[in-house]
Amino acid sequence: MNTTRRDLFKFVGGSVVGALFTPAPWRLVTDTALWSENWPGIPRPARGEIRTKFTHCALCPAGCAVRARCVGDQPVALAGVPGHPLSHGALCAIGLTAHHLPYHPSRLKQGPAGEAAQAVSAAISKCGPAQHAAVLDLRPGRTASWTYRRAMASVKHGLYLAPPSPFGGSVAFDLHQAKTVLSFGAPLLDGWGTPGNVIAARENFRLIQAEPLESRTASLADLWLPIRPGAEEALAQAIANVLADGKPRSPFAAQTGLTEQQITSVAEELAHNGPALVLDGGQIPAVMELNRRLGSLGRTIVARRETPVPESWKKAAPVTNLASVPDGSIRVLLIDESVMDAYLPWSMIERKLVPDDPLVVTFAWSRQGYARHAQYVLPAAVYPEIFDDIPPAIDSVAAVFRIAAPLVEPPAGMVNPSEFIGGLAGLPAADALRQRADAIHQAGRGTLFTCAGAKSVPVKEVKPDDFWKALNEGGCWLDAVDESGAGHRFLWPANADDEKRSSAPPEDLPLVAITCETRAAAAPLSPLMSKLYQESNLRLAANHAALNPATARACGVGEGARAILRTHCGSAQIEVSLDSGVPPGVVKVAAGPGIMDLCGASARAQVVPA
Amino acid sequence: MDKEFIARGVKRCSTPRFLLWILPWLSLLAFGLYSAGLCLVKGLNQTNMDNRFAFGLWIFLDLTVIALGAGAFFTGFLLYILKLKELRAVINSAVVIGLVCYSGAIAVLMVDVGQPLRAWFTFWYPNVHSMLAEVTFCITCYLTVLAIEYLPILLRNRKLREVPSFLVFEHELHKLVYVLAGVGTFLSFFHQGSLGGLYGVLRGRPFAFREGFLVWPSTFFLFIVSAAAVGPSFILLTTWLVEKISRKRLARPAVLELLGRISGLLLAVYVLAKTMDTLIWINRTSPDAGFPAAQYYAWRPFGTWILFAEIVLFGLVPALVMLAPWLRRRTGWLVSAAAMACLGVALNRFVLTVQTLALPTLAFDKFLSYWPSWQETGTFLAVVAYGVLVYSFSFRYLQLFPEERELKAEVRQEKEEELPAMAGRY
Amino acid sequence: MIARYGMTIDVDRCTGCGACMVACAVENNVPPAHQGANDRKGITWIRVFQVNNGQDYPNRRSAFVPVLCQQCGKDAPCASVCPQQAVEIDPATGIVGQMPERCLGCRYCMAACPYHARYFNWWDPAWPAGMEKTLNPDVAPRMRGVVEKCNFCHGRWHAAIERAAANGRSIQAVDYVPACVEACPTGAIQFGDLNRPESAPARAARNGNSFRLLEKIGTDPKIYYRSTKDWVHRISSAPAPGLGKERSRG
Repeated sequence: MNTTRRDLFKFVGGSVVGALFTPAPWRLVTDTALWSENWPGIPRPARGEIRTKFTHCALCPAGCAVRARCVGDQPVALAGVPGHPLSHGALCAIGLTAHHLPYHPSRLKQGPAGEAAQAVSAAISKCGPAQHAAVLDLRPGRTASWTYRRAMASVKHGLYLAPPSPFGGSVAFDLHQAKTVLSFGAPLLDGWGTPGNVIAARENFRLIQAEPLESRTASLADLWLPIRPGAEEALAQAIANVLADGKPRSPFAAQTGLTEQQITSVAEELAHNGPALVLDGGQIPAVMELNRRLGSLGRTIVARRETPVPESWKKAAPVTNLASVPDGSIRVLLIDESVMDAYLPWSMIERKLVPDDPLVVTFAWSRQGYARHAQYVLPAAVYPEIFDDIPPAIDSVAAVFRIAAPLVEPPAGMVNPSEFIGGLAGLPAADALRQRADAIHQAGRGTLFTCAGAKSVPVKEVKPDDFWKALNEGGCWLDAVDESGAGHRFLWPANADDEKRSSAPPEDLPLVAITCETRAAAAPLSPLMSKLYQESNLRLAANHAALNPATARACGVGEGARAILRTHCGSAQIEVSLDSGVPPGVVKVAAGPGIMDLCGASARAQVVPA
Repeated sequence: MDKEFIARGVKRCSTPRFLLWILPWLSLLAFGLYSAGLCLVKGLNQTNMDNRFAFGLWIFLDLTVIALGAGAFFTGFLLYILKLKELRAVINSAVVIGLVCYSGAIAVLMVDVGQPLRAWFTFWYPNVHSMLAEVTFCITCYLTVLAIEYLPILLRNRKLREVPSFLVFEHELHKLVYVLAGVGTFLSFFHQGSLGGLYGVLRGRPFAFREGFLVWPSTFFLFIVSAAAVGPSFILLTTWLVEKISRKRLARPAVLELLGRISGLLLAVYVLAKTMDTLIWINRTSPDAGFPAAQYYAWRPFGTWILFAEIVLFGLVPALVMLAPWLRRRTGWLVSAAAMACLGVALNRFVLTVQTLALPTLAFDKFLSYWPSWQETGTFLAVVAYGVLVYSFSFRYLQLFPEERELKAEVRQEKEEELPAMAGRY
Repeated sequence: MIARYGMTIDVDRCTGCGACMVACAVENNVPPAHQGANDRKGITWIRVFQVNNGQDYPNRRSAFVPVLCQQCGKDAPCASVCPQQAVEIDPATGIVGQMPERCLGCRYCMAACPYHARYFNWWDPAWPAGMEKTLNPDVAPRMRGVVEKCNFCHGRWHAAIERAAANGRSIQAVDYVPACVEACPTGAIQFGDLNRPESAPARAARNGNSFRLLEKIGTDPKIYYRSTKDWVHRISSAPAPGLGKERSRG
């Protein structure tokens, strides 16, 4: 038979029609939907073996235990460790997103380390008799802090500085012992101490929060005392009066903005529903007096032993409070801001520098902190790249030792502050953590908690190498209870900063600026934290401020307006929102390093339209 | 120079003059296409719509334009099914308007969706419960019907008629006109209704939610009636506008009055139905959902004035004007009433799209406001420009108004009759 | 196992810390905010709102309320309106699932949802250079122009089913929790199967202090909120006019 062209066409035509009755072409059509999902530019998550690593979060003093879910070696999710004796499984929003920090667009990638070292040496040699070369350690108490102290003991004119701390020596607040807690604005439920520990203890105590703003802690407290801004000391005095004489003495009661009835009732509660604990941000002498009167010392405020250190380290420079250094005496200042407990306003630091040509070198992960004020900015690794220990938090009754074991490698070009500063004194700093661990092991007390097994083992039963290995894998050393703490002497806090003590408000600065979201000034935030700031109204974003509508009208600004916030330290641009929950006469402003430089925790201020 | 494309017996302005007319509209179209292009290329972040205002200017525009374009199907229904022969004078114009409205609406819809390339998904995975699926099917089918109805008008162009096959094709097509009118009416009934149903079924938005008949909420029927009411008004309005701009008589006053009467009648029915529906909604439907109706109107600027404006000022008033014969005869009143009727329907569509989304549903929601971005406005203006351009070209080269030639002859006759009276003065 | 997964949220325990919000974004590969994003254009599958008792200072009292997809019952407003059937209520879990691959981006479901639980990708997702290495391999990132929302970490449910199958058994109630539940430090958010009377949500449903948002609308949500404060219960009903509208952006 002859196959003609027509037959061919018929065959092809028939096949096409027949194919339409099969699933094939329809499947192809539906599959195009998948192609439209995967355009170029949409990243595809990498696949690989799922591993679990443990470490501790170094972004704040809590040092919560972290379980990292890793694809290969790359962490893709962080979580708390349930059942952990210190953090009880909690991890805050900042800690949950910390694995993004190595890729933060603001991070510093390079810096002139060699040049800086030379400049530092040169400047040290130029130091006059009353001048100093100092290290300002913004997270004192670490092993690295000991390295700095040891280095400054060897360096001529060397001084080791720590931020003003409310207590001399190691002191902890024991929330588990308290039945009534009076907090003067301490953010107890908003990042204070070890959040997991606070939550675990919360059921046991009644919380009275005394502060001008209805903060997150105030809204969750059992009682919120809306005192006038700056009236914390007055309230403390008034309560002390009630405890002593049965009623508050004027003028304190009137200054607080509360009724006598309210103050008396709080005082009675503290006295009769003990053990009591009075907390503050560390600025108010009257608060310690109150604690003394209530018998908190030794009960809810206890001494904490220091985590053991090698004997050879004890020949180190003493810890000097920044506030006690004479003004204008520091010629060379090295600031370790790679990890920060709290951001110190630059004015507190600047006044201590010599007026002519001081040298400031800062070790930072980004330009957001003191880099603006430094001559040399050296890039430091950021958690989870760092290898550092985290000192015990303020609510940790026992001494602890936990290492933030690195989850990822830091990029090339990073400067290790310990090694740099140790290098100035010829100290090898690389082994410091191992030496510390060995000293702890030698002391022979306490237990080792391992995350993987979720169990505690006495340190005596662990070999030194295994001890070190466990610490590197997220393990944590907890000291035994200190039976001998009875004789501890609690030092009164240093006098609060004079800037905040002016009694008559200056006419040109009629408002009180109170900062909130202070964590944002101290810890690096992942870009994903925009969920809480930019993409929702949950937290006040940096350089945003909230005003009472009446106050806003008086200042001539409205909702969403651009304005200038002015204090005696300078001014900054802010965006205003209205909130009738903010007291009149107050501007609630979100902290960032710039705002903290302007206001500190609170300051007299003025708001004018931009 | 394009004289041979213009129909015999009618005059159109000179080509340069025509170019002058279309130039600004072309520029507007270009700007609008650029705006739309930005939205397609860069994404919908170019607009001011957001997660609370999921619908904005474009959806409001779509709904309004489809309601106004309803003149196409309704005039066809009245002419071919109900045999109201006078409407032959405006049926072609109505078809062009309908075509322009529907094609413009679909074009804007393609820009409005996040993934225009997936537009065929609605046809591939249709959800029979979704009003929007119904709308999509019906308006695409109806656009096809309109295109088929436009074809004869196009083919009757003086030049194109010279092609014999076109003439034959057009003639054969004309036999189908009753079928097309019927299909068009059927489809329009459903999609006008479904557009109303879009909002009436939203149980999560008690401001828009209505009870109804079986699966169709009352807004389904209200939209059909309002579209049928405003369609003739819009035809009336556009015819008058074109007469004014072209300075020609295009349709007898009786035709406009008929359109007005039909519009007024349906508008009156609509106002009655809408009032009843609103009362039921205020007293039963909304309170049953836990939303007392008074609170909707406590959010500034949407006070009860908007309800009053929609139903009385732009509903009842134009209905009464168009129903009153002595007012209908006066062009000023008639045209104003038609314009108000159109505005009333636009207001109704606005209330259901924008106000529904502005109103909070959760107790801790804020009342939000929305203002379109320039890209959104540009895209909207592109549709307007496109409509004017298509209509302008259709008016120039096609016979949109069959009575134009007769009316022109009558005018000439009137002028000649006038002359003898004037001749003696000079 | 036919489950009806639900949640109970204790408003008295929520501190407004936002851990749930970021844990959700980490788990589900939600990108950080684009430069032009604000709280009206951002993507927050779970969003914590600060509500208050309507009083001014000093009588203002606030509380924090996490709001996510309420996982409505069989008459979920969004499911019936999607023209492409991109919304499906899973009969095995009761989870209202969203298929971004099928979504046209018409946003009709967003208009339908009274809880504002649905989010549109106004921009293509963008992560800072290198940060895409931290994406979760179990969840596909979406492109612009599609709607997304909470799906009770459906990917985790799938992983739990696979793990259970690998161990030769069927999924148990405790086998999986969504990321927000795992992250909440105070345990304010609890998760469980409403079909089991001993689960936390089932017990909350019977508790007198519990309420659901907009109950009268008839959506039958599976999220039960709980508070001992009377004024907090007011958030479950319709809004009352406020003191002024928010300024418009745009």
